[in-house]
Amino acid sequence: MRGIGAKSMAVAAVVVAISACTTTNGGTASSPSTMPAMGTSQTKAAGLRAGLNNLLREHVYLAGAATGAALAGRDAEFKAAAAALDANSVAVAGAIGSVYGAGAEQAFLPLWRRHIGFVVDYTVGVATNDRGKQDRAVNDLIGYTQDFGAFLQSANPNLPKAVVADLVKHHVVTLKAVIDAQGTKDPVKAFTAIRAAAEHMQMIADPLAEAIVKQFPDRFRG
Amino acid sequence: MRYVVPLAAVAVWLFADLATADAPTVAIQLFQFAPSPVAVEAGARVTWTNRDDIEHTVTAGEPDRRTGRFDLRLPGPGASESVTFTERGVYPYFCDRHRSMRGEIRVN
Ligand SMILES: [Cu+2]
Repeated sequence: MRGIGAKSMAVAAVVVAISACTTTNGGTASSPSTMPAMGTSQTKAAGLRAGLNNLLREHVYLAGAATGAALAGRDAEFKAAAAALDANSVAVAGAIGSVYGAGAEQAFLPLWRRHIGFVVDYTVGVATNDRGKQDRAVNDLIGYTQDFGAFLQSANPNLPKAVVADLVKHHVVTLKAVIDAQGTKDPVKAFTAIRAAAEHMQMIADPLAEAIVKQFPDRFRG
Repeated sequence: MRYVVPLAAVAVWLFADLATADAPTVAIQLFQFAPSPVAVEAGARVTWTNRDDIEHTVTAGEPDRRTGRFDLRLPGPGASESVTFTERGVYPYFCDRHRSMRGEIRVN
């Protein structure tokens, strides 16, 4: 447990450093006396929330970049986007590990990668106009939401499985809209959809951060 | 008298150790088998209990090399199944629903 504590401290330190930079940049125009509440954005809890929101939004944009390149037949770009997406997956698992330990991190990463595999299946289904493959991928993704919900509920009793599953289901639906638009070569629709999909991630990141802080109030105090 | 307490403590520890080795339990929680590996004596009955709100399996072997020795289904939280290991050897196992979940029983 000592190792986990050190690691989470390190992550928290990075997160705090990032949020400190942000507030410093944003605050240079004002004098300190006019910003009595400046410290509130530098709390560990705020850092956790910002960090999770960044990671999960990045997940959507990189997933959209990968599926867009795949559907347009830009192979080198697809591979690069898929690699970046996987680096993001590793970072998401690292965030889980910083709170729940190395075992949880190792268990989470393949679970998270799995939904990306199903998204790839769906994209291949769209590319090849294979309705059966698309339907199977959607079914797999919907089934997956239950597993994902079960994982987070086991990690944190403040995250009920059904609620998490429903939020992840909406992530699947919003990402599917991006892929469908990319498949019909409608860039306006695709980019509108990707903004909606990215925005929805806050619906997952915020409650996740809130539940973690509620579970470990001492670790996120101050 | 000086040694009474330490000896008693050792006796309790030994007894406890033998007791758990006789009926070892593995929890399935947060998509992990814990503890793992588990070392037991031949004839031990190992019990797995699911603590996750999702089905897990305890399937003998590895995903691409199943041994068929056991394949337990633990559909939800609280579900529990056991296997008696009569022969010495190393028994890897995995969850067939989440194949990155791996565990191992070592029978001495
Ligand atoms: Cu499993």
